[in-house]
Amino acid sequence: MRGLALILTMLMLAVPVNAECYADYKAKQDNPLQLAYGVSAVSNAACGKPNRAKAELSPRLAGGGWTLLKIVSTFGPEGLNERKASAGDFFLRY
Amino acid sequence: MKGKRVPETSSSVTDSLRAGNRVVGYGIAAIVLILLGAAVFLFLNLPDANAFNTRVERLFVENNDLTSGAEIKLLEILAQSGTSFAEVLVSYRSVIFVLLLFSSALLLAALVFLVTIVALNRRISAIQRSGIQVSSMVISREARAVYINDLEFALTEASLETLAVLAEARMDDEVLTGAQIEAVISGRNEADCDEAAGATRIKRLRDTLGNQLVSELLVKTIARRGYMLAVGKDTLKMI
Repeated sequence: MRGLALILTMLMLAVPVNAECYADYKAKQDNPLQLAYGVSAVSNAACGKPNRAKAELSPRLAGGGWTLLKIVSTFGPEGLNERKASAGDFFLRY
Repeated sequence: MKGKRVPETSSSVTDSLRAGNRVVGYGIAAIVLILLGAAVFLFLNLPDANAFNTRVERLFVENNDLTSGAEIKLLEILAQSGTSFAEVLVSYRSVIFVLLLFSSALLLAALVFLVTIVALNRRISAIQRSGIQVSSMVISREARAVYINDLEFALTEASLETLAVLAEARMDDEVLTGAQIEAVISGRNEADCDEAAGATRIKRLRDTLGNQLVSELLVKTIARRGYMLAVGKDTLKMI
């Protein structure tokens, strides 16, 4: 029984409960300086790894003319609502 | 016939002038160098508008809480005000550059004047030491006179002739013997001329010119009053 419980907790830790993963980021445009805070979906592999999320998001933002400055955090779908207002236009835009 | 060159009496003056010119050259080079350095330093150190933008950007990145739309808008306005200040900075830069140019011109002028004053002072003291310095000598056959500096000396016909011969020889850097002088003036062959005759002409020239020169420079005749030494009181001393 105890071994089963251990395996179960390990499984829960290893694989996120939900498949969806998001990251909030800060980006800029130069001349004139424009700043943006946004939320985007990233692959599960990037979850909890800001560097990977950064590598994923940078080209996507660059396509829109934005320079990624920083990944603030990565989170699951439960964090979407609280960030929706702040992100504004940039909510799941890229 | 070429003779020995008359030795330069004012070599110290020309030497000091040359030294002065060298000082001016070094000084100008130093001033230009210093001001160029200052200009480069100024242009490199004046902040450009992007400095403001990078500050704002850093503020934005370093504070995780700055995420709401209003806060971001505020930061952008901050950055834009900095960018508009950049145009002011550019005008400041040109104004400062113009002022730098002016100051360098003034410095150069001051240096040149300073060295000129030093050279002139030396020259004046040299002139004071050397007594009478002939800066111009005009021989006028018509007025039968010679003008040395601004002093007019009347000459006899013979003295004028001797002086004219000497002047022509001086212009060609030639030295004449008494016989040659006599030959030129009388128009005879040099071999037939007496050395003593030329010497007499020189003596007469010296007498007529010397008398007037001394009277003009040393013993002045004051009309209807008498005679006076034409030297400053403070230069006189009796031992």
